[in-house]
Amino acid sequence: MKSSLVAQAVILAALALLPAAGEAIYFRDKISWRSAIAPSEMVSVEQAREWNGSAIWVDARPDDDFAKDHVPDAISLNEDRWNELLPQFLAAWAPGKKVIVYCSSLSCNASREVARRLRKEAQLSDVFVLEGGWEAWLKKNR
Amino acid sequence: MKETSNTQRPTPNIEQAEHSTLGVERSALDVGRFLWRILDFVVAGIFIFAGLTKILDFDHLIADLQHLRVANAFADLGQLSLASPAEFASDIDNFKILPWPVSVALAFYLPWLEIFCALGLVFRFLYRGALSILSASIVVFTLGIITAKVRGLDITCGCFGHASQHWSFPAHLLTNLAILAALLFLFFKATSGNTPQNAV
Repeated sequence: MKSSLVAQAVILAALALLPAAGEAIYFRDKISWRSAIAPSEMVSVEQAREWNGSAIWVDARPDDDFAKDHVPDAISLNEDRWNELLPQFLAAWAPGKKVIVYCSSLSCNASREVARRLRKEAQLSDVFVLEGGWEAWLKKNR
Repeated sequence: MKETSNTQRPTPNIEQAEHSTLGVERSALDVGRFLWRILDFVVAGIFIFAGLTKILDFDHLIADLQHLRVANAFADLGQLSLASPAEFASDIDNFKILPWPVSVALAFYLPWLEIFCALGLVFRFLYRGALSILSASIVVFTLGIITAKVRGLDITCGCFGHASQHWSFPAHLLTNLAILAALLFLFFKATSGNTPQNAV
């Protein structure tokens, strides 16, 4: 019985591979296998500095971290208070402006998630995630 | 017709009693099998929903259903599109256990595995294999969310795609444990020998 159970599991696992492979081929240009964020959606601190004036900084960290310190003129927009903060962000945004989202460090996910929601829910296109987050900005600016 | 002697033939009363006992046992067995099938369908439904939420973009539909906007929900059904696998890959990546390429591969693979296994439960095809895969995946996800909680990671398990994004840790844990209990019940029932005739 044990061998039949393993055989059944292997057959099911193999069957599921087929549509998964098809889906992977379909999405081959829409997802990066190297990094969680596609290179085209990331921006380095140096590059972001060059955009000064034509970009809005968005702080995706929790309120406490934002209150302690943040990039000058940055707007707080985190997922905990998304519905409250989004209108404030949209009031500051103008067409043609790039949006740079950051969270605490390279390993945090908040900026990625906020950027995703801005693209999807607010239908914004020029949304970028700051490489290295707040830590990288601090290193280069202080 | 050859007549049997009185000594060999059971008395009508005993025969009747045996028949009624057999009838009661049989109907109890039928009820048991019926309930068992219902549980099969419920568990399969959960996993089909879980798989589909990762393959198709149900965000608008779920939001409309949550706010009881039924007309909008029907409109959403007509405009369903494929969900980005990057979202589920991000959910897996948030556990900080696997490298990104593996998260992407699992984001493509796991939803289909869930759906195929769920169909195995519905059609009783490769039944025990399907139950073992689903049980193993739920155990792995449950251990994943527990270790993430211990490590202080604020994550969504991704169990129901982005629909479960804002679930709390206890909600994740209780849902997973309830599904695991149902799967284990089905598994032990299937391996105890009390198997419906058409189960493979």
